[in-house]
Amino acid sequence: MAVVTALRPRSVPRSAAASRDRTPMPRLPAAVRPSVWGPTVIALVLAGIAWQAVAAGNPYILPRLPEVGTALAGNPLLFLSNAWATLQIALIGLFFGFVAAFLLAVLTSEFVVLRRAIMPLASVLNVTPVVALAPGLVVAFGFGMAPKVIVTAIITFFPVLANVSTGLRSVQGPVLDVFHTLQASRLEVLGRLRIPSAMPYTIAALRVTLPLSVVGAVVAEFVAAGSSTGLGTVIKTSAASSQLAQMYAAITCLALLGVLMLAVVTVLERRLLFWHESQQRRR
Amino acid sequence: MATAAHLPAHVLADPEHILVREVDKTYPGAAARALDDIDLVVRRGEFVSLIGPSGCGKSTLLRALAGLEPIDTGSITIYGATPREACSQKAVGLVPQTPALLPWLTVRQNVALPGKVNRAATKRRIHRQGMGVPALGRTDPDELLDLVGLADKGGAYPGELSGGMQQRVAIARAFGLEPDVLLMDEPFSALDEFTREAMRLHLLSLWQRMQTTVVFVTHSVREAVTLSDRVVVMSARPGRIHELVDVDLPRPRDHEVLAGPGLHVVEDRVRDSLQRAWDSGAVPSDLVPA
Repeated sequence: MAVVTALRPRSVPRSAAASRDRTPMPRLPAAVRPSVWGPTVIALVLAGIAWQAVAAGNPYILPRLPEVGTALAGNPLLFLSNAWATLQIALIGLFFGFVAAFLLAVLTSEFVVLRRAIMPLASVLNVTPVVALAPGLVVAFGFGMAPKVIVTAIITFFPVLANVSTGLRSVQGPVLDVFHTLQASRLEVLGRLRIPSAMPYTIAALRVTLPLSVVGAVVAEFVAAGSSTGLGTVIKTSAASSQLAQMYAAITCLALLGVLMLAVVTVLERRLLFWHESQQRRR
Repeated sequence: MATAAHLPAHVLADPEHILVREVDKTYPGAAARALDDIDLVVRRGEFVSLIGPSGCGKSTLLRALAGLEPIDTGSITIYGATPREACSQKAVGLVPQTPALLPWLTVRQNVALPGKVNRAATKRRIHRQGMGVPALGRTDPDELLDLVGLADKGGAYPGELSGGMQQRVAIARAFGLEPDVLLMDEPFSALDEFTREAMRLHLLSLWQRMQTTVVFVTHSVREAVTLSDRVVVMSARPGRIHELVDVDLPRPRDHEVLAGPGLHVVEDRVRDSLQRAWDSGAVPSDLVPA
């Protein structure tokens, strides 16, 4: 005990210190406060040092970070055009996967028969490794975009179906009672109540599936033989020819794509879920 | 005691009364009837409270009136129509225990919602096929919000309001229907005592203005007596009507009436009645494990 008291400066009582903290200084936004970004930066620097340490001893396993930077800067057009190709596949695949899953979620939540018919199939599809399906899809749909889009769509399908289905059933009893005393039609209950109630779940599904769609696209590019574009293809070919710097540059691009997608989801969330508890500032 | 059984036949199709006749209901798997031989007549324009211990079926009866709960035997008519028919005319307003607002709509949009849903019913209502008075269609959301003291909150979202304010919005929404009967299921039970007090006064002034029939479920004796023309005391297991207590206090129930001795006399009568209802074999074997 004596040690503890000695450590606290006697001249500044605790209450005074606390009230000084609370004085209405113009608070900086969270993003520019060092206490917010400090830990992140330190962790990044440490990870970078560890990387460099490993790369220094094993140049054939890990390229040095400056080499990756040079690869990126040396041929930006290569990475941009291939990132665009991958992004296209990811977004088109996600679009089809999302729309199909959303419609199916609505249908299965409205009709029990459909739920019983479709949900087991969807679950089986979910637990099947899509990578295993990919070669078959390439055989069926030939080369080009179609099989890649389909792989991406399948990968993104189930998280949307599961989330939206839960969301559509999350309407509170009392609200339904009010709608029933108004004898609202099923379509009105769906449009005015169920789909808006499912919005937080839909956004959560997007938070999972937007980055997942890039995974789908890259896996499809790996598998589809003769694929000539996309970051997945760049990774595959540079790995085969031991161009490590180029490979990691492509991986960096993929990471950036993922970050971009999360940013898009966050913006969507703020726009569409401003009313939801998750977006309310603590009062 | 005015029960439907004693009424002449022509009253039964009367557009001036809500009639509950010999209604029984047992929930599947339940030991006792939730509703046992319920007879009740409510006049148009009357404010009636249902009070009783938990399990007495007061909420079940209210839900049955709203057509949300099927009954086993007996009949319920609202001004001659079945609950379902009454709902199809948008003649029934419901205020549930929780505000049940849509958080993604503004307060104003929430109040306007009943007019937007099921528009065909609104049209039917204007012609009022055999339901009595036609709706006046003077349901401006802002006017309604003004009546519950929330004129400045129309553009706010429910999440920005306190619990009491949210329930006021729910009440404004229900009154906005201009329902022929307003069913309120313990609407103030989640609020603190001070807010409840204020809410009762809000409701009284609104009711005074709108002249709607109200069936109000509560477990507060003070609330029942303050608001009602009649208090229906119910007993549990089986859910029965134990006694009807007339509240012979003058209207409007201003501060003078509510602070006066008359209120306490009626309150005591209701309390005595509740005690007797509890004693009348209501202590159940299924409530206290043997």
